[in-house]
Amino acid sequence: MNITRRQFAKWAMATTLIAPLAFNVSIADAKDKYVIGFSQTTTVEPWRVQFNKDLEAEAKKHANVELLVADGQDKTEKQVADVENFIRQEVDAILISPKESAGLTGVVEKAMDAGIPVIVLDRNVDTEKYTQWIGGDNVVIGEAAGKYAVELLGGKGKAKGTVVEVWGGLGTQASHDRSDGFHKNTDAEPGIKYLLDKQSGDWKQDQAYNIMATALRNHEDITLVYGHNDPMAYGAYLAAKDAGREKNILFIGVDGLPNEGVQWVNKGELAATFLYPTPGAEGLRQALKVLAGEKVEKKIVLDTEAITKENAPAILKANGL
Amino acid sequence: MTNPSEHVMSSSNSAERLKSVLKSTKLYWGLVLLFLVGVISSPVSSKGHNIFLSFGNLSDVFRQISVTGITAVGMTLVILIAGIDLSVGSVLALGSVVCAMLLTNEGWSSAYLLGVPAIFLLAFLLVLGIVAFSIKVQQRAVMDAGTVAPSRSKLALVLAVIAALAVALGVASSSEGKAGVLLVLLVVPAVGFMLGTINGLIIVGGRLQPFIVTLAMMVAGLGIARLTAGQNTAVWPVYTGSNATENFEVLRSLIFGIVPVPGVIFAGIVVLFWVILKFTKFGRYIYAIGGNEEAARLAGVPVWRVKITVYAISGYLAALAGILYVAQYRQGKPDAGMGLELDAIAAVVIGGTSLMGGRGSMIGTLVGVLIFGFLSNILQLNNIDSNTQLVLKGAIIIIAVLLQERRSSGWLFFLSQLWTRDMSDKSGSNQIKNPQGPGD
Repeated sequence: MNITRRQFAKWAMATTLIAPLAFNVSIADAKDKYVIGFSQTTTVEPWRVQFNKDLEAEAKKHANVELLVADGQDKTEKQVADVENFIRQEVDAILISPKESAGLTGVVEKAMDAGIPVIVLDRNVDTEKYTQWIGGDNVVIGEAAGKYAVELLGGKGKAKGTVVEVWGGLGTQASHDRSDGFHKNTDAEPGIKYLLDKQSGDWKQDQAYNIMATALRNHEDITLVYGHNDPMAYGAYLAAKDAGREKNILFIGVDGLPNEGVQWVNKGELAATFLYPTPGAEGLRQALKVLAGEKVEKKIVLDTEAITKENAPAILKANGL
Repeated sequence: MTNPSEHVMSSSNSAERLKSVLKSTKLYWGLVLLFLVGVISSPVSSKGHNIFLSFGNLSDVFRQISVTGITAVGMTLVILIAGIDLSVGSVLALGSVVCAMLLTNEGWSSAYLLGVPAIFLLAFLLVLGIVAFSIKVQQRAVMDAGTVAPSRSKLALVLAVIAALAVALGVASSSEGKAGVLLVLLVVPAVGFMLGTINGLIIVGGRLQPFIVTLAMMVAGLGIARLTAGQNTAVWPVYTGSNATENFEVLRSLIFGIVPVPGVIFAGIVVLFWVILKFTKFGRYIYAIGGNEEAARLAGVPVWRVKITVYAISGYLAALAGILYVAQYRQGKPDAGMGLELDAIAAVVIGGTSLMGGRGSMIGTLVGVLIFGFLSNILQLNNIDSNTQLVLKGAIIIIAVLLQERRSSGWLFFLSQLWTRDMSDKSGSNQIKNPQGPGD
């Protein structure tokens, strides 16, 4: 009894493994409907929510696309299982926004080996075995923010001021890139002084609030706050507001989500935010290109954009807000 | 902790008496020491005054500890009955989401799906409790003196009227379909109360480990919070004045420009539960259950009722803290309370409450919360980088708990015994433990 059951399981496994290899090409050609699997890291972060919205909106434009979305719940293991699931389901293409590079490299390779094109979004994996990578460049964004900060503080060579930088996380590459890019421009200015030593608000509004509350006690003169994302810049703004000092301080954030950063810029609470574009819509468009047999670039870097009081209303309008 | 007079008999000379006083108050010395470190290491402002000691900074600390502090009060009760509540972070997060939704959503929303049954459950249990209480009092009065105590029987009615008035006021405080502050203060903690009651019912009814039951609630709570918030909403922003009532700002305001309202609420809750633990039968029951549950049961303590109540209180307080979170940070979000349960447990344990139950106090928890709050503040004022802060916090927890060690010579004693541990018999170590009453 036991043996037969085990044998049956073996058979079943063998068929599921062989089937895609045998039929993959013919099925893909015959299909007028594409099933695309999207593995997202988590859905409790506003940027990720916007990411999903962009992707789903794009998918609705294409009648021949069926989009499957899996939420990795911020766990590498879960995300690996999600992608393995897509491979089992024999989807036509996989979009993945990895939680971390190393942990998801293996499964991306596995999908490619199974003959499924993989488009990596935002964070990349540690291999060349993927179809395409699309994402923003945090160093470029940091540079743009740094350049803007120098202008706000008096212009190149004359900039003067004290800066509070609230880090997203000391262990994440995005935070280091956003910091490095920023410093490239501000460190060249002898008049700009940094007040805090790598304080991390863990990308969260509440933690940034508390860091700023203490910084306000500690330093009577703060001219500019650079938050590695908008919620932290806004948290710092709220702390300054509660201390009655928000009028004398400029706040700069990154991400530029319509619901958050752009709103705050529009209200004049943040001086500016720098768009970290979600690769959602572009990812799906590229996937369809791949499925149509077109040749695509290996890497696509999405542009940033400075959002200030001038262009904020237009962006809000475009997003129906 | 121990009353020094108890030791007078055993310690004849004054040196030993001093030692015992020092020993019983070492918890406070830790706080004083940390405070001194804060004063000495604090940067000085341009006007020359000590920033750490400035009223503004102390006010910040008082506010910062209030959210963790309120959950730590509930956690103290739970740990005193030898339980644990890992779900407080999720309950706080759910509370923050429900609170933000009630404040900003016009009319019916998914928040009411939780809020309405929760309020009914709370009201039902309150009425049930009051009625049972008044009947009992009546019966006792009849047995004692053969007369009826009419004043007590009317208590239920009076309280019911008060509750109805509160609900009416709460509804009246709402405008344009959006909830007002009073309604939020009524509904949101009731949601926490409901989840806490479920925790308690499962623990008692299923005879399960509180660790695993509340762990399950921690996971489920996050899911409920996310379902309530809606799949596409990571954060519910609360802008008082534009999308929520401006009255809500009361909950983050400073009285006389210096005393933070959340801090006052925290202090009030500490005092309330200090009184309950020290002077009520319910408080005594908690210590009895934590000390020896079986003995308590045999002695006629209504063990299961007390246990469920304790978990319900823990949930209630966690959700209440969620409201203050929304008030302070202007947002409700499903992942608001991540890791909070561990902070609360750490504060309780630093405060000298034993994880084995039956021993500890509310004042200890207050001190534990203060130690945590001052530590964060000192590290931040001195601009220690975030990673080092984590290491130092871990170290302080260990040091504080070692200081709490009840053996006279603490860990020095332990080191000296390390080599001979196998040979030292159990009765030897038992002698060192001196029985100690609960409370301060």
